[in-house]
Amino acid sequence: MRRLLPVMLGLGAPLAIAAAPADPSIRNFVACPVVRDTASVPCWLSEHDGELYFLTLQADVSAPVNPPWLGHKVLVEGRIKPGAARICGGVVLEPVRLSIIAEPDAACHTQLPAEERYNLTFEPPRPPGPSGGRLAFNTLPMPVKPVDVKREVKQYSLPYDFDGLINFKHPFQLTPILDMANAMKVSRVEIIGHRGAALLSDGSVMPEQADRAKRRAEQVAELLQGAGLTAPKYDVHWIDAAPAPSGIDDHTQRRVDITLRP
Amino acid sequence: MTSRPIRHALAAVLLLPTLLVGAENGETLDAKAMAVPAPKRVPHWIFPDTTGGLAASGTYANELGQIGIVLAEGAVKDAKSHPFFQALGPNGRACVTCHQPQDAMSVSLDSIRWIWRVTGGKDPLFAAVDGKNCPHLPQGEPTSHSLLLNRGLIRVFLPWPPKGNDGKPVDPEFTLEVVRDPTGCNTHPQYGLSSSNPTVSVYRRPRPAANTKFTTHENFGVLPFIGKNGLPASRDPDTGRASSMNLMADARAPSLRAQAADAAAGHMEVKKPLTKAQLDAIVAFESQVYMAQASDRHAGSLTEEGGPSGLGPQAMLKGEAGVLGNNTTRWVFPMENKWKSLPRTGDATQDARHAARESIQRGHDNFMFRTFWIRDSMHLNSVGLGNPTKRTCATCHGMHLTGMDTADGWMDIGSTNLPWAKEEPLNPWNPNKPELPLFKVTCKDRVPPHPFLGRVIYTQDPGRALITGRCNDVGTIVMQQLRGLAARQPYFSNGSAQTLREVVDFYDRRYNIGYTEQEKQDLVNFLGVL
Repeated sequence: MRRLLPVMLGLGAPLAIAAAPADPSIRNFVACPVVRDTASVPCWLSEHDGELYFLTLQADVSAPVNPPWLGHKVLVEGRIKPGAARICGGVVLEPVRLSIIAEPDAACHTQLPAEERYNLTFEPPRPPGPSGGRLAFNTLPMPVKPVDVKREVKQYSLPYDFDGLINFKHPFQLTPILDMANAMKVSRVEIIGHRGAALLSDGSVMPEQADRAKRRAEQVAELLQGAGLTAPKYDVHWIDAAPAPSGIDDHTQRRVDITLRP
Repeated sequence: MTSRPIRHALAAVLLLPTLLVGAENGETLDAKAMAVPAPKRVPHWIFPDTTGGLAASGTYANELGQIGIVLAEGAVKDAKSHPFFQALGPNGRACVTCHQPQDAMSVSLDSIRWIWRVTGGKDPLFAAVDGKNCPHLPQGEPTSHSLLLNRGLIRVFLPWPPKGNDGKPVDPEFTLEVVRDPTGCNTHPQYGLSSSNPTVSVYRRPRPAANTKFTTHENFGVLPFIGKNGLPASRDPDTGRASSMNLMADARAPSLRAQAADAAAGHMEVKKPLTKAQLDAIVAFESQVYMAQASDRHAGSLTEEGGPSGLGPQAMLKGEAGVLGNNTTRWVFPMENKWKSLPRTGDATQDARHAARESIQRGHDNFMFRTFWIRDSMHLNSVGLGNPTKRTCATCHGMHLTGMDTADGWMDIGSTNLPWAKEEPLNPWNPNKPELPLFKVTCKDRVPPHPFLGRVIYTQDPGRALITGRCNDVGTIVMQQLRGLAARQPYFSNGSAQTLREVVDFYDRRYNIGYTEQEKQDLVNFLGVL
């Protein structure tokens, strides 16, 4: 395992100041989440610079955007959805990515009651109880084991929350990689960990923790080996330097690239 | 049920009238320091190495009605030659000692008290290794066995730090300190954390050895990686396949075979590992036992034709394992609204039965549809639903027919972690003292604090964290199946709820639900028929 030489500008100091994101519809900020009850499922909101934004609805584990937690701030990386009506009183951010800040924050405890004026005007993807027979989003089908696969190079990329390591979402991404590696009887697994930074709307830059690239890469190797993929040789690398963020799609830098070689 | 073991047990009762007289007069057999409450009924206890067999189906009385047992592969004709019923180790215990058919294949507090009285505390159940608060305590004195006699708890002793699958010590994410040690075991120089073989002792209820196709399924949610945190799932050492990790309170055994081997080495103190034939026979038996409540004292038969399809042991036998029931297609416990509205005829008996059945249906509907805010529960709020999340009982208790999580079912609902765990109120007017140990867990600086409890956690049982060493697992306990509850009180892994009402009250308090009295009673009635 080794560190790759930095090829991009390193970001050492947290909250360095840069220019704000060029796209005026971008809203990147760190704030407390707010949960508002409705007659159906709760809405998750957050306030930034005097405006209330709608982040997501409560759905289920399959949702592309999962709600944040009271008791923790959240990094919001979103874009105002053009022409969208407010939901639960909030300006709709879509697409939006939410990263829960690990350190607890007791100030984040706002839970608002339902009000008629904020009730949903549409059917939510999942009610606050039993489903109609399937998960709200068909994004998490049980992985199917590959058969008769070509023995050729396969590449994958695992996305991460800001400062995040492996979480509950990753089994559905790791399992196909593991299954493919077993089916191909790979000889080599190359893993490269990356870290990123977020350019916030106020122009400040928030880099991920310095060890994220390394820990991500090492953890993925440990997980694949722990799941029984012990035969191949592992090449584990990481790039400590985070590329300068633009405020647009900064999340793509938070990843681990995995290459399976026959 | 007319099998010979039961006659054996009843004979034991009949042989001991003089011993029991003293108890009836308000004394206890061993009333040196602690009175052992009288059992509420005479159980059908099966002793190890007993003659006779176990019928292919049968019912056994409990306080709320009758539990039904079905053996899918037919009767056990000769229990004496079957490893599940044999005393395999030197302490005289068999698997059946803690997994009694009459107790839904667990062991109830009432049965524990009965066997204490019948044998004067000499039954192998009370073996020093774990049927006592700590092995060093005087054998046979009620105070030495108080956790078993008061809460139905067996001592579970685990290495600290934990060992990984490779046998090497895991570097825990937290430090573990003993704050309170009423049993003396965790600070004991031979058995405690500072001994030459550092060991932590926690106290847990035996789980039902029945309906195991549900607890060991390889269906929905069973992946090579744990759905709660992405880490590698345990694998069955015999097949190499991922485990559903729903066995035992801490999911430390990946298969029935591994659990049996673990139990033989620990609970039975066998000196040599069980043979393949013994393990095969135990696993085969556990794989064919199905149980559920079969009748209710007020609602009558739970298995009559035309009744709810999700009740009774046959539902377990026929049911599909490892599928989600938190939906309106399969349901967790299908009742088809059969008891939604039943006629009143003027026949007092029948009307009372119909009223009881309607209450059960209301309890079911409450379980499925009554929303409340679930907050700060690790491995529930942290897996994509948000904190808090507005959901129902069936959100967590979602596996079709069992009410377990489908896989990797450990969660922290506060049953062992403070501030929610039941603690003895300390004041000048309460003579009772805390019974369970209390640990201080401090998450190390190298890991983030626990997201809902912070960096310092006080707990009666660190649960899954004693296996993983992970801060986020502190106080997480694998959810139990909700079947046969009427036959196996007390409840929760630490026996902290003596009755189903206490279970409901715990949730009401923990999640600030605000149940009405009617809702509570309906839920109790519903849980009692599962």
